[in-house]
Amino acid sequence: MAASSNEPVKLVLYVAGETPKSLAAIRNLEKICSEHLAGKYRVEVIDLKKQPQLAREHGIVAIPTLVKELPVPIRKIIGDLSDTQKVLVHLSVEE
Amino acid sequence: MTVVSLASALTRDELEARLYEAEETLRAIREGEIDAVVIKGGATEQVFTLEGDGHSYRTFMEAMDIGAAAFDAEGQLLYANQALCTLLDRPAGMLSGQALLGMLDAVNQTTFRRLLTQALQERQSAEIHVRVGDNESSFLLTGAPIDFGVVSGVAVTFTDISEREQIAAAKESERLARSVLASANEAVIVCDRAGRVTHINAAAERICAEAPIGKRFEEAIELTFADASELMSGGDIVAMAAGGTPVQGLEAAVKTSAVDVTDVMLSAAPLVVSGERTQGCVVTLINLSQRKAAERRQALLMGELDHRVKNTLAMVLAISARTASHERTIEDFQKSFSGRIQALAATHTLLSNASWENLEIKDVLSVELAPYATLSSGRITLEGLDISVDSKTAVSLGLVFHELTTNAVKYGALSTRAGKLSVRRIGLLDDGALQIEWEERDGPLVTPPTVSGFGQTLISRSLGSGPNGGTKLEYRPTGVVCQILIPKYGHFHS
Repeated sequence: MAASSNEPVKLVLYVAGETPKSLAAIRNLEKICSEHLAGKYRVEVIDLKKQPQLAREHGIVAIPTLVKELPVPIRKIIGDLSDTQKVLVHLSVEE
Repeated sequence: MTVVSLASALTRDELEARLYEAEETLRAIREGEIDAVVIKGGATEQVFTLEGDGHSYRTFMEAMDIGAAAFDAEGQLLYANQALCTLLDRPAGMLSGQALLGMLDAVNQTTFRRLLTQALQERQSAEIHVRVGDNESSFLLTGAPIDFGVVSGVAVTFTDISEREQIAAAKESERLARSVLASANEAVIVCDRAGRVTHINAAAERICAEAPIGKRFEEAIELTFADASELMSGGDIVAMAAGGTPVQGLEAAVKTSAVDVTDVMLSAAPLVVSGERTQGCVVTLINLSQRKAAERRQALLMGELDHRVKNTLAMVLAISARTASHERTIEDFQKSFSGRIQALAATHTLLSNASWENLEIKDVLSVELAPYATLSSGRITLEGLDISVDSKTAVSLGLVFHELTTNAVKYGALSTRAGKLSVRRIGLLDDGALQIEWEERDGPLVTPPTVSGFGQTLISRSLGSGPNGGTKLEYRPTGVVCQILIPKYGHFHS
């Protein structure tokens, strides 16, 4: 299923402060978005160190975790997002 | 039963999704892709990080006085302490990721990256240079492996060695400046803003008063400026240069008791060490003594030459007039006149060869006798005539000897084979005049002339103008004898 061209991808990245993997995930996501989703995405970064209760909404267990909220279905990608191809498959925007 | 009810409440897709998520979580944990977990404790969630032994590294780094940073295995900055932010004059947010490396030029970036790679294995050190604000700073970096629990990375400390390097550079620069100063041929004197001597090289020490360091410039070296009379002093020039106005090419006479330096060309320039403000001035002195002495000598010679040319022309006119009045035919006139002018020319040649100084009587006489000396070998004796005379006396003696020689060749001792001539020094008289005697013997019988020719007049008058000088001519039957007195000022006989 390909992402609809007029529907922006809405992403939520859950991190835990500035742990090395949280920082790596932020960095990797920035790179993927700018290279593959230019202008078609919206990212929200949630620091569970500051607001742990927000883990409940998406049932987050491991950090970092990226959640694709839109377009449905919701998908979770667990880890530091270092495997770009895998991330793109899960975001269903692979070319 | 709970499982069954849960399972029955979910669709197959949802179950598959949950299974996949559980497997992914395990994979991520196994592969070290996560470093924090959420634990549900009652009604609230808690986050635990898996930083393991390195858990407190941030607290530790923050307590350090020196700059410190943590990098992951890819060389991304994880953390920079406050001391490093201060050193680099950047907030922590502006150093994250690759931003810190972005502050470096290509060469220093390479050094830094190599350190990060090597320090993953073992402790490494390197030096980098980075521009912070307007200044170039130098840091000694020490990197060592650090374990952040599930991941490893590098902890790097930054020691600011700029000051150390600046001190070393300043010392080197000072050393260089000193050797430049010492190696300069010209005299160089450095003064502070107050006009006191702070540095001086060997060439300048020779011109200056003793122990010039710390003295005011005008005390260290006393100068007078020909072009500016008493209005300007060395101190004024130093003050002008220290105030920012360079002074160039002033000629000055040195009054300090220097051995060989009497004249210098002075230049003074403001000394700007750093920034805009002058720290004093640098004075260079070029020794002009030899050039000045040469100039003075040349001026003297020009004046002397002018004087001599006028005198000589006057003398030629006089000789011409007097010769004409004593000779009967044009041929006689031509012969006498030429002889006399040639005598004058011969003495002049001698004088100019000797730079118009210290011609000896023997030389003047030898020129006149030269045409006859070889013919009359053994007949002419010269005795004690190695006496220097001044140029005026030399010219007069030249003419006298010419007349006496001409007379001797025509009528006297040199006109026959048997005749003899002796010219010798008699001695000094009480008044300092030097007496020389011209004596002819064994020539034809001599009778005094009935008419006094110009030659005779010239002989009588030459050297007679000053006090204590003159000639006395006797026509003895045995031969002519002439007593020649050279005034005291005309010879250098001791």
